[in-house]
Order: sequence, then structure tokens, then C-alpha cells
Amino acid sequence: MNLSTRVMLNRLTQQCVYKRIVTFSTKTAEHVIENQEEQKKEAPPTTPTSPVNRKTIIPANYRFVYPEFLPDPKVEWRNLVREKLERLDMLDRRKQIDLPEFYVGSVLAVTSSDPHAAGKTSRFVGICINRDRCGLRARFILRNVIDHQGMEVVYELYDPTILKIEVLRLEKRLDDSLFYLRDALPEYSTFDENMEAEPLEEGAPVPVNDIKVVLRPRPWLERWERQNLRGVANIDEYLKDKHRLSAAKVQKPWEKYDMMKDYRSSIPEEEQTEIFAEVHTELHALELQRKRNKRKRTFIKPKQLA
Amino acid sequence: MMRSVINQLLGLRLSGNSSVLVTQVRDKGHLSRPRLRNPQWFLRKEITKYNDLMTAENKQFVNEVGTNNFGVPVVIKDCLVKTAGPTANEAVWTPNLRRCGVIARKIGQYPLWLKNGERIRTTLLQIVDNHVIKYIPPEEYLPAQVPTVANLHKRGCILVGSETTNPALLTKEYAGIFRNSGVLPKKNLARFIVSPEAQLAPGTPLNVNHFRVGDFVDVRGKTVDHGFQGVVKRHGFKGMPASHGVTKTHRRAGNIGGGGEKGRVWPGTKMPGHMGNRWRIIKGLRVWRINTKYNVMWVQGSSVAGPTGGLVYIYDTILPTRKNKEAPPFPTFYGEPQQDGDDVWYEQVHNFKSESITYENE
Repeated sequence: MNLSTRVMLNRLTQQCVYKRIVTFSTKTAEHVIENQEEQKKEAPPTTPTSPVNRKTIIPANYRFVYPEFLPDPKVEWRNLVREKLERLDMLDRRKQIDLPEFYVGSVLAVTSSDPHAAGKTSRFVGICINRDRCGLRARFILRNVIDHQGMEVVYELYDPTILKIEVLRLEKRLDDSLFYLRDALPEYSTFDENMEAEPLEEGAPVPVNDIKVVLRPRPWLERWERQNLRGVANIDEYLKDKHRLSAAKVQKPWEKYDMMKDYRSSIPEEEQTEIFAEVHTELHALELQRKRNKRKRTFIKPKQLA
Repeated sequence: MMRSVINQLLGLRLSGNSSVLVTQVRDKGHLSRPRLRNPQWFLRKEITKYNDLMTAENKQFVNEVGTNNFGVPVVIKDCLVKTAGPTANEAVWTPNLRRCGVIARKIGQYPLWLKNGERIRTTLLQIVDNHVIKYIPPEEYLPAQVPTVANLHKRGCILVGSETTNPALLTKEYAGIFRNSGVLPKKNLARFIVSPEAQLAPGTPLNVNHFRVGDFVDVRGKTVDHGFQGVVKRHGFKGMPASHGVTKTHRRAGNIGGGGEKGRVWPGTKMPGHMGNRWRIIKGLRVWRINTKYNVMWVQGSSVAGPTGGLVYIYDTILPTRKNKEAPPFPTFYGEPQQDGDDVWYEQVHNFKSESITYENE
């Protein structure tokens, strides 16, 4: 992917911010890509206009930065009082620990207390291959290869035994989940344990890493050819005609036009605004504090020599 | 029919001669079940909706008044209740006394963590707008189906209602239940069998402070209705292989009994049938946390019967080892619940406002 498409993608995501509402249960990537292709054919993208005037200006990227604040869209499980109490608990926890912005594909280091570890704490560095669940049960999976052995740890974001979450490299990948790293060559999920954090400029958009991983030959854990993965380089090498045929059979190309499915699997925008309006002031205050702390950390007083 | 007529005639003749009426007991057998007498509060609740030929504006106005005055409040205020001030009853609690329960709604589930780092699953139960409607003393309380309670005759019955509703939607006779209680008509009613010492005056509000953190409760609810289900879903049978020559028996039960002397289907054999929609009591759940502002309690586990939003009834537990050892608020909590919104946490639970959990070196 060259630079221009990347810029286009960013702009498109900005546009889509107003159109589509994304939760864990929606597949975003496919839509974005297809929209992008359509848009290319049609006309150059125009500047996004804000559809509604809101009293409090909630950043449009909040639902990507804090996806776990949006409840599960399943109607049978929803309850406004429960959701409110859950959000209050989440904010209380966020006041105790800095839970940074990160995405699938970012490299994280998680320090957590562990009664069985030597110093009673353990630190694990790895790439985030999946984020799921909402509310206090939000969790993510870190993957790394240590001593030629693939390791994955499932962390719960609001688990109070987590002491610190550092984002070593903030970036996105081409896919929504990177489970295919399990079947890729180990170098694609190997990260140095003593990796230094790579800071991004403030206000810069989160870069999308368009690396394509190389899969090892079959047998695989899943039928990757059926999942329309964009971050895999050599999947065609291992496919026979029968695989292609059966993959074509299970495709559901009409689902991107299924507005009811989209509606059922997402939280309406008005409700999102309500939810984020409720937590915005506190989240914003926490963000400002994080920025202040960061500056404090980066500034090192020069030592007097001589 | 004929027999009853004859009996009546006989009765008339007998009453002419003497005042003693002999009841026939010969016909009483296993088929003559006790006649179902519903409790006196089982009345038709909703009125028939007629088309009142109202203009749209009037209709909207009436609906607005209804929802404004009688809608279900999320945060419970007692402004709607005009009680004569329930008199606190000064009975002293002893372990054998049985207190009133409350009506709650299951509002969802989420995890909490203990101070040792262990994750527990909890169910949130909200106690919405509960008030005592009526107390029926032991002498007057004669249910058709005798509840399985020890010392039944020494226990009375408290009728509790929850969720105030628009009385315009209710029948006259149903609204009449609430006449002497000083409480507006409620959507849900439940009866609780209590010791006479634990009786409550009509109009007494019940809230989450009726229970304390660390107590154990029994929660009764109606399980989710799954309809007629096969044996795999209903009883967790394994079914049979999907391939390897298996035809037409992938989710069937297989054998249901032996031959010879036992050559029949034994009673209680697990077979397909209706699943769910049954009353179930989950016993001995610990109350981990209480929120007095929204009247919510966090209860151990995720097995409380019923769907999210379903009604459940909460009682003090009857499990002998988990029964209350210290006096709970008896007969109920009479004070003003604190409104600062701070939750009450059980000592073992990690408060999200406190720092992360760390382990000490031995």
C-alpha cells in the first residue's frame, strides 16, 4: 500500500466515522476497503461535514479509542442502569491506572502482579492479536515467540492485578484480528522483550502497518482462505482448486448491503453520543493528565558536569 | 352434577330434621384433588382497552400524565407514597425468625475481583420501588396449596408490590388490593411467608438495605423458556457422530432402557420435552456489593434464573450453614438510605477506587 492510499484510508475512516458505528461485533475492515474502492471510482472524496451540532464536542475517534465503553448491542442483554454502573466502575479503575489507546497490531508490554513470579510481578511483551468483549470484561490477547515457542496471554483490561500497560509501538494492521499469526512464520510474532517504546508525534494519526505475513504450509488452525485476509502474502501458494471453490461457496457478499444486520450488531449513533457525553469529561481529564505525565517523563534535567 | 343435586336435596331434608350435615367421604380418592383456590390477590389486572374515540392530542395528554406521575422511577423516590409513617416494630431478632423478602429485577451480569486477585462473576439485581401492601396474620392466612414451611400456622404472610404503574390501566378490583395500604397500585405482587414478629405495616418501603453485604440470599426466578427441546440441548446428551456411516441419528438419545424384567421405560428417563419456564430457586448466593442509590445488589454467580430484565424474588437463605448469624436489619431497614452514591463493598472484594492488587513477598 503506497502513501496516497494510506492517506485516502485515513480520510475515509474519518468520513465513515459519521456514517457507520462500529462495535466489536461488526466487521469493519471489509467495509472500509470496499467503500474505498467504490469511492475511487466515483469521485475524489469531499471534506467530511459534521452532521449534527453537539453541545459537548466529543472526539469522533472515541469509539475506536474506547470501544469497550459501548455495550453489547444484543437487545436482550441491555439495561441502562447496569450499563451506567459498569461505566462508573470502569472510570474508577481508569483513575487508578493509565489504560492507553491501543489497537489490534500494536505492540504492548503488560506488567501484572503474579503470586507465582519471582518478584511477584511479571512483564509480558507482545503484539495485540485480538480485542473483544465490552464493559468490565473487555480483554485482549498478546502474542510473542519466546525461545522458539509461541506464547499468548489473555489479559482483561480492567483486571486490578494489572499494574501497568505500556504501548511500545502504536499502530494498526490491515485486519481486525491477527489470529493468523499463529500459522505464520515465527519471525512475524517475535518481539524483543527489552524493546524500547517508539513514541508517536502528538496528534499524528495512528499509522497502519501494511506488512503482509508469510504463512507456513498446511495444516492450519483455521481455514484462512475463507476469511478474506489482507495481511497475508502467500495464501495462494497453499490453495488447491477445491479450497478455492469451497471458499467461494461460503462467501456472503450480500452481507455488506444488509442494513438490518448492521443495525442489530451496532449501537446507534445517538446512543453512542449519549454514552460518551456521560464519560467524556472524565476521560478527557485523564488524557490531559497522561499528556502532562508524559512530558514530565521525557524532560530530563541536564546534569551539571564539572 | 346429579350427585351434587342429590346432596343438596339431602342437605335440605336433613336441615329440616336436624342441624347436623353429614359429608360424604367415600368418593374421596386419589383423583379428588384439592380444589384450586387462588390467593385473594389473583385478580384480573389489566382493563380491556376500548377505542375511546379520543383526539390524538387528548390521548397524548392522558399518556403524558400517566407516565409523568406513575412511570417506573429509576432512582426510587418515595414522593408517590402517602403512608401514615410505618411504625417501627421493636421485635428482637432470633435465628429462627423469618423475615420478609423483596421483589427485584435481574439487570445483568459483570465481573468483580476479590482482593486476592481472583475474578468472580456477579449478577446485578435491582430492587425497584418495593412497598408492603398488606400483612395477613397466621390465623387468617389459609392458602389452598400449603407451602412447605415448618410451623406453618405460626407464620403470617406479607404481600409486597413493586413498580408503581398507571392506575388508569388497571381494573377496579385489582386496584382495590391497594386501597388500605396508602400505596399507589403496583405492577408486580409477591407474597412472603414471615414470622409474626417480622410483620411490617402496610406502606413500608423495602430497599436494598434490607440485606447487608456478606449475607447469603436465595433467589427465585422463572427460567428462560426454551420451548420443546431435544435431548442434546435439554439434558446435554452427546448425540451421535456426524459421519462414519451414521444416518438419521445425530442428535437422538439412543437407548432408553433395557429388556427382560426392566422391559419398559423407567419413570424419570431423560427424554425430549419442554425446557425452561419453570420456577427455580438458587440458594446461598453471597451479596458482594450494594449500591443504595440505584438499589442494586451484586450477587454471586451467573446462574440466577430468568432473562435480563426478568423478575426475581430474594429471600434470606435457608441453608443452615449460611443462615444469618448476626442480626440483620429486623424486621426491615427503617433508616434513610445514604444518598452520596458510595457503594458498600464486602471486605474481600476489590474496590475499583483502590489501587491495583500487589502480592507481598513472604
